[in-house]
Amino acid sequence: MTPNSPPVTITGIGSVSPFGPLAGLIPPSALEPSAITAWTTTGLRRAFLVQPFRPASVVPGLKTRRLDRLSAWALVASSLAIQDAGIDLSQVDRSRVAVVFATAFGCIELTEAFYLSAAANGWNGTDPSTFPETLASSPAGHVALFHGLRGPNVTVSDKHFAGENALIQAASLLRHGQADLAIVLAGDALVQSLYSWYEVADLLSPACYNSDPLPEAGGSIPSGFIPSEGVAALVMESSGRDSGSEEARSGARCYARVGAGRWAAGGQLAEIIRQLLGGSGPRLTVCSGNGAPCATSPTTAIAREISSDGAVIIPPQLFAQGLAGTGALFHLIMALSSQPSGQPGNGQALLLGTAGDSGFAALPLELLRR
Amino acid sequence: MTDFHKTIVVTGVGVISPYGVGLDCLQTGMLSGKSCLTPMKDVYPGFEGTIAQVPGSLLHAEDFNSRYSRTDQLAVVATRDAMANSGYESSAFRESGVLIANTVGGLTEIDTGIAKDPAAWFRRPGRLLRGSSFPISHVADAVGEHFGIRGPRCAISVACASGAIAIALAANLLLDGAAPMILAGGSEPLCPFTLSGFNSLRALDPNPCRPFDQNRSGLNLGEGSAVLVLETQAGATARNARVLAVLRGWAMTNDAFHTTAPHKEGSGLADCIKLSMEMAEVSGDDIGYVNAHGTGTPLNDIAEANAYEIAFRGRKHPIPVSSTKSYFGHCLGAAGALEAAITIMAVRSGALLPTLRLTHPIESPGVDWLRGAVKRQPLPLAMSASSGFGGSNTVLVFGSGLP
Repeated sequence: MTPNSPPVTITGIGSVSPFGPLAGLIPPSALEPSAITAWTTTGLRRAFLVQPFRPASVVPGLKTRRLDRLSAWALVASSLAIQDAGIDLSQVDRSRVAVVFATAFGCIELTEAFYLSAAANGWNGTDPSTFPETLASSPAGHVALFHGLRGPNVTVSDKHFAGENALIQAASLLRHGQADLAIVLAGDALVQSLYSWYEVADLLSPACYNSDPLPEAGGSIPSGFIPSEGVAALVMESSGRDSGSEEARSGARCYARVGAGRWAAGGQLAEIIRQLLGGSGPRLTVCSGNGAPCATSPTTAIAREISSDGAVIIPPQLFAQGLAGTGALFHLIMALSSQPSGQPGNGQALLLGTAGDSGFAALPLELLRR
Repeated sequence: MTDFHKTIVVTGVGVISPYGVGLDCLQTGMLSGKSCLTPMKDVYPGFEGTIAQVPGSLLHAEDFNSRYSRTDQLAVVATRDAMANSGYESSAFRESGVLIANTVGGLTEIDTGIAKDPAAWFRRPGRLLRGSSFPISHVADAVGEHFGIRGPRCAISVACASGAIAIALAANLLLDGAAPMILAGGSEPLCPFTLSGFNSLRALDPNPCRPFDQNRSGLNLGEGSAVLVLETQAGATARNARVLAVLRGWAMTNDAFHTTAPHKEGSGLADCIKLSMEMAEVSGDDIGYVNAHGTGTPLNDIAEANAYEIAFRGRKHPIPVSSTKSYFGHCLGAAGALEAAITIMAVRSGALLPTLRLTHPIESPGVDWLRGAVKRQPLPLAMSASSGFGGSNTVLVFGSGLP
């Protein structure tokens, strides 16, 4: 870990994704994009889509009728992460719990709906119940409201590294004592206007237009990307917030420790990473992909450059790459999921995202024994 | 003893507002008591109400990339002004961070024609580029690219608390050593999307707003951008920089009460005020002025008055409070940053701006509602309070000198 920056620990994971709503790790399995049916398309169009489910069947008592899917998924994912962390919120000082949410496109589903109502009824005839829910920060607000979390509530956005950014901001809040526990979320929902933009900009993979099976796990598609949707949530805690010790809350499951990360829009990446890691290369690098579909520099190539011989490099996951800037949490969860259980942790590791000439994000990690 | 590495200072302030470009322009306009609020129908036919708009001529001087939205343009102008105000060459900002808040991103560039057939809309000339400015993060990229800044950059979007939260998070990141300086603030344009939204909520006062008045009936929307140059005292000293103000404390809380309404007792904001004073290591008696959120809506203003009663209970004298939204409206994602700039202006000049049109203040014995003439007094410490939909609160405490 970086000197002088006490680590924070990831103690809970929850997600809503094409794999379904899940608490904890995502069991490794092949995933194929599915055909888009939510709007009319001219021919086959595919994406990694969250299949419809009833949020209340996953989180009893959850009411999501008036919410868009992004807010509903944030509520489900956060509940599953809290459950996975074994936290009873009634026993926690909820004024000390932060929510940090990363999104690229916010509540775009209701933004579309608002435009539709304006197109149909004029700007003076729009729906008042829709407008506040169009705000990008709505999901984070709903998470705070549902769980009664009164700590800092932040929504961040970054073209390439929104997910990494949320992890860095949450860790910063914890280190500065502005919260004891943070629910970190990242994700987006796919809608017609967004898919259309990708399509007209010629950013999509040929795999979006045919039903051929994708390459084996770890393989890459030749060009473009496959859009995806979902929300991942992590519970992050100050190490030893109760006991003052190096360890997290007594009995807590610890997936990983997170050091002080860096992100920037440029600079000497390899040098900065070596500084972050105290002069050495990572033994394991989790690539969080290129962040955005238009980026050109493969993260895995950078990871090879900075790693020592024999180091493990986990390439970007196709599904998480499709989330543009908000895929980092899924990259991390899927990397953790692919580690054999019962094995010692991999020691010094790195979550690394790059975006060609547009910068990088890097978080030192210590993956812990599961 | 002051730890210069842990003290965050403001070494530049950039503003574009309905008064014009620059803090001096803002100060002159506000001290004169001029209101920039005008009837909306003159600017946006079909809407009724009152707004404050940035004159278009102020944006024409800059050479903007064609994919910059109005949100981006306002932020670029404010950033250039902040750089100039700091006295640094723009090249000094190469490794700086950029944290810019907003709520609408590039919605200013998208019309209702997109609703029925987005693909057809994007295929028309220029629309693909216009659409690319939609994400709220675009403003941070526009500022970074425009000035060749390659430090950490991101956008913050937390409704009407956004601008203040960007400043608070920037302060955290400076303490982490994430960048030598951070350009932090907010940018918000007027656009039919937000005008329509607040109109649908019946939150707009058709006339110039009256924050904290018993007869208040809603808010007016405004636009603008403010960007602060933040750095550690150690960095500023090494650069021999002029320190405009010290960010003594900051705090963020959430009401966890309702999606759009504040907690009736103002408890979330009261907690936030207390936390910010704790961080600044000051008491309620030390705060000389609060620049309030003060939107002019019935629910916000009473909750806020309650918050001041709770947070400043035990003070020797009522806490002086005003809402400067009465001058140029509510600038949403930029409001917290613009009001931070106004608060810095207050600690530097000792001039406490009154709330305009405040004739029958809410009864609140612990609050000295500033109205009438500008009040002048030494002001070592002042506070800016922001709140927003989703229950977020942020408080920034600025000081005129080192602790």
